[in-house]
Amino acid sequence: MEAFLFWTCGALMVFGGVMMVLQRSAVVAALWLVFAFIAAAGVFAVLSAPFLAIMQVLVYAGAIMVLFLFVIMMLQGPVMEGERRRMALPLWPGAAIPPLAVLVLVGGWLGRNSAGSFPAAPPAGFGSPGHVAAAMLGRYLLAFELISIVLLVAIIGALSLGHRERNQTWS
Amino acid sequence: MDIVLESLAKILFMFLLIMGMVPALIWAERKGAAFIQDRTGPNRASIGGVRLAGLVHPIADVLKLVFKEDVAPAGRHRALYNLAPWLVMAVAVSTYAVIPFGDYLEIGGKRIPLVVADLQVGLLYVLAVASLGTYGIVLGGWASNNKFTFLGGIRATAQMISYEISMGLAIMGLMLIFGTLRLTDIVAGQGGLLFGWLPMWGIVLQPLGFVLFITAVFAETNRNPFDLPEGESEIVAGYHLEYSSLKFALFFMAEYCHMVVGAAMISALYFGGYQIPWLPRPALEAHAGLLLTIAMVATVVVSLLFAVLFLRRVQREKGKFGDARDREPVLGAGLWLVMAAFAAGALVLRPWEIGPAGGSLVATFFQVGAFVGKVVFFAWLFIWVRWTLPRFRYDQLMRLGWKVMLPLGLANLVVTALVIAAVGSGK
Repeated sequence: MEAFLFWTCGALMVFGGVMMVLQRSAVVAALWLVFAFIAAAGVFAVLSAPFLAIMQVLVYAGAIMVLFLFVIMMLQGPVMEGERRRMALPLWPGAAIPPLAVLVLVGGWLGRNSAGSFPAAPPAGFGSPGHVAAAMLGRYLLAFELISIVLLVAIIGALSLGHRERNQTWS
Repeated sequence: MDIVLESLAKILFMFLLIMGMVPALIWAERKGAAFIQDRTGPNRASIGGVRLAGLVHPIADVLKLVFKEDVAPAGRHRALYNLAPWLVMAVAVSTYAVIPFGDYLEIGGKRIPLVVADLQVGLLYVLAVASLGTYGIVLGGWASNNKFTFLGGIRATAQMISYEISMGLAIMGLMLIFGTLRLTDIVAGQGGLLFGWLPMWGIVLQPLGFVLFITAVFAETNRNPFDLPEGESEIVAGYHLEYSSLKFALFFMAEYCHMVVGAAMISALYFGGYQIPWLPRPALEAHAGLLLTIAMVATVVVSLLFAVLFLRRVQREKGKFGDARDREPVLGAGLWLVMAAFAAGALVLRPWEIGPAGGSLVATFFQVGAFVGKVVFFAWLFIWVRWTLPRFRYDQLMRLGWKVMLPLGLANLVVTALVIAAVGSGK
């Protein structure tokens, strides 16, 4: 059952990724990416990491992609004529991704251990919020704090850039 | 196999609770609005002359929406336009999976927990599903290919992202106090007493958190005073402007489902869920017979009171209308008399004295009743607020979200953490 769910979620994830690359409309592409994220959350859930799975949906699908969609729609507007226009160059490098993704999936399927089942059961409490918190604020505290600082710098940078521009256009 | 049947039964109960409350809420919204604005409200639709105080109107509504022509804009994005209402509806009903509606039900010595999915990360699940709810609205607005719907969708995105953060921060205070993300644990933790007399409800422990949470829930449900994505006076009807017939009905129903979900979350997190103050489960089980007797006596008295009121109307309004409407008070009096007879019969026969398991059943009955009662009250609160407060302006909404609620949420979190560090958590 677990193996079945794992491979189903994995296949759906790859399918979502492929569909995302093949879309001409940026909005629909973003939605396929959301689909792929939710499938990835399914993979996490099967791998006994419920906290990670929910966070994947909450942060990536629910917050970041909503903002992406917001920006795409703001720039594009509700007009559909743009959707029908051909996207010229960026499609071609992207076309290499789907075969690669399928290759990864097939490779994973072929390379699975002989029984086709999962390795030994994870230790008790694995993947629970407490477990993740202990790892993040214990062993990996330095990396965690460094990432926080990088994000903070990025936020301040974005704010200062955005603010200057607004002063010019909106007063 | 048992677990599948149990889960199906629980899902069915929750589904019926939501779907039963939706028409009732639509009725309450209309009658409540009429009451607050000093009007009569809906009183025309009838079945054989009986109008049931406007309760027939939701039925007429459903019939109208089912048989209406499904008009769709020509320039729509076909797939997304069709997907959006289903997305909204699916998100609205799936939050229910983790909200406990009772402690447990004991059948044949087996304890069935009264929650569909007791997730370890239940609180985060609620937030995650709520955040996915934005997609349905924003896609409906975008796929309709109309500037007004598009503006509604964009407004909904910005609003929901802004208020989700405050919502998460408000809930975090509760997470710290109860030291868990499991909703059943949080509700069970609210059963105790603080200082020996105060119910340990979330609102007592986190008063500021409650204010922030309820504000965020109002914003997330897109109800007044936060219904800017719809804003009739500004952008016609917002994101669902181009929807008609059953697709519109889905949006409409989803709004009321969201209200019920919001009410259930408020009562589960801040009002003890199924907990009855000063009456913990052992007390409920021990005094089951006494409690049921009191409840039945109260039912008889109230039913007889209403029956007398209706009987007086029968006498006073004899032949007032000269048509089928004259039957209404007779029917009302009859219904209340039947109700009183049932309660009186129960008092005489005492069917709850069915041995030791009976006490447990009665306790479960009272707890589920307490939960449903709280949900009904908070659903009414949504209606009450809608017809009392005016709509925010958009810049006011953003200022409230980012400059008032976010700092307050952070302050609440820091103070809660400091207090817990000093005193120890509520467990």
